[in-house]
Amino acid sequence: MRCIFLMLNNSRLLVCFFCILFSIQVNALTDKEQGLEWNALSLEEYKQPWMDDIQFHGFLSQGLFHSSGYNVHGKSKDNIATGLTEIGLNMSYQATDTLSFSAQGLYRRAGAQTGDAGALSLDFAFFDYALLGHSKGQIGIRGGRIKNPWGLYNSTRDVSFTRPTILLPLVYFERSRALLLSMDGGQFYTDYHTDWGDIFFKMNVGVTASGDTELLYAITNNTDAQGRLESSPSFVTQVKYEIQGGKYVLAMSYADLVSVYQPFNLLDTYTGLNMQINSLLLSAQYNGEKFSLEAEYNTQWNDFSGIPHILPVRRVISEHWYIQAGYRILDNVQMIFRYDSAVLSMNDRNGLNFAAATGMPKHGVYTRDIVMGLRWDITAHWMLRGEYHRMQGYSMVTAMDNLDLSLRPAKDWDIYALQISYRF
Amino acid sequence: MKLKRTILFIRQYLCVLVTSIGIGVSFSCSATEVILNEFSVQYVKPSDNLSAIFTLQRRYWVNGEKIHVFVLSDESPLHKRFVKEKLHLFPYQIRRIWNRQIYTGTGQPPFTVSSVAEMIEKVKHTKNAIGYINTREGVDENALYFFNAQ
Repeated sequence: MRCIFLMLNNSRLLVCFFCILFSIQVNALTDKEQGLEWNALSLEEYKQPWMDDIQFHGFLSQGLFHSSGYNVHGKSKDNIATGLTEIGLNMSYQATDTLSFSAQGLYRRAGAQTGDAGALSLDFAFFDYALLGHSKGQIGIRGGRIKNPWGLYNSTRDVSFTRPTILLPLVYFERSRALLLSMDGGQFYTDYHTDWGDIFFKMNVGVTASGDTELLYAITNNTDAQGRLESSPSFVTQVKYEIQGGKYVLAMSYADLVSVYQPFNLLDTYTGLNMQINSLLLSAQYNGEKFSLEAEYNTQWNDFSGIPHILPVRRVISEHWYIQAGYRILDNVQMIFRYDSAVLSMNDRNGLNFAAATGMPKHGVYTRDIVMGLRWDITAHWMLRGEYHRMQGYSMVTAMDNLDLSLRPAKDWDIYALQISYRF
Repeated sequence: MKLKRTILFIRQYLCVLVTSIGIGVSFSCSATEVILNEFSVQYVKPSDNLSAIFTLQRRYWVNGEKIHVFVLSDESPLHKRFVKEKLHLFPYQIRRIWNRQIYTGTGQPPFTVSSVAEMIEKVKHTKNAIGYINTREGVDENALYFFNAQ
């Protein structure tokens, strides 16, 4: 028996010995490449990367909307609207290591804003020249039509896959989307990567596509306005700090946008209108494996001048913010909850002055939105999602889809939305 | 009494055996490996931040030439494991970063290969290439180099 115990004792040692030997072997394997002599390929055997210098990508999404109270992307009120259709196709060409070209065409059908036939636009088209590229970052310039770096989502706002919900948070202004969409001009950008995080800086200078009708209605609060706004040189800038590859994101975006009203005719009452918008957006985001949390806060100074007979108050300060939480039930299924708030004037949050001045209900000056959504990424290319919005107020409702707004505007209302998306 | 001692001993023995197997398995369980070729390997330092390379935030080797990144599809279990293990990111995060670059025109995503064999082939034969595989065991190491992170 003693002999057996001795053997067992030894075998314990033996097992340990084998394990240690095995781990040493594995470690040796891990370190051995330094000492190996390679049968290196000759230079001619290396190819240039076949055709990955020209790439095509795109996306397609279709939404269905049903609502009470107001129309959203078409005639959705007590009806089903096949509103939002978004199709994009882009091409990028890496001409040299430092020079590249990119362009994206966008087809968008979003209710009355684009009409039933939808609208085609050039979403972006620019050259990108890297002035300096090194192991810690890069510095470069872009010229042409460039997406504006605004908050967490503006630059890809029409790509369903990149949005947290079908309808973006209110701070991304559906009505005045044209203001911040893109810039015709130039961009200076720089990234710097350190052990304690990555810093990204972008600055766009140029003119925006402010000739949009819904934007004009939003500014004048009058669907009879017939002229158009024309952008003067403006800028949008953003500094972003990311830790652990975007697990934590902090960003500050600032926009200075100037537009001048081009009258429809000599009798146009808005003749002389100048608009200057200064807007500050603070963003914070946490992306965990299961849980994610984000919030954005925006204060916007809207200065109007030139038409004191219509707009006696020269400066209106508006405020938008939201807080949003997400939880991944599975790797590819995520629940989203959001509380979203927008007020047109911080001096008249509850609309008392507005109601007294216009005779309209107080809830015309704010919008509050409680969102619950579910997103299912069926594959890397297909995504399906649905969401419910409990809305209060109508300040962010699009005028073109709701021309009969003044009859009896509802205070509490709902939106149900469903969307399917494809990307490649 | 003898029986008790025997059982006790067997229990001890089993305990050591299980622990040892555990250690053995943890060592033998192949970790994902970052692969390079003889061109790219000379520009890589053990302290280099892999996630900056694979998220395309770092696009150039120290010689100023563009890095060519190869990946497997999003659905591939190896891709998911690699992203977590070596980049310390969640797979949805890296897809989000690539999407932002693709759809703002500010970057071309990595080239997607369909198999580990293709990955090895492409990395071997593309200048300035970097990719990954599931294990270095059984790989023909001719002209293939591994990256050892610090």
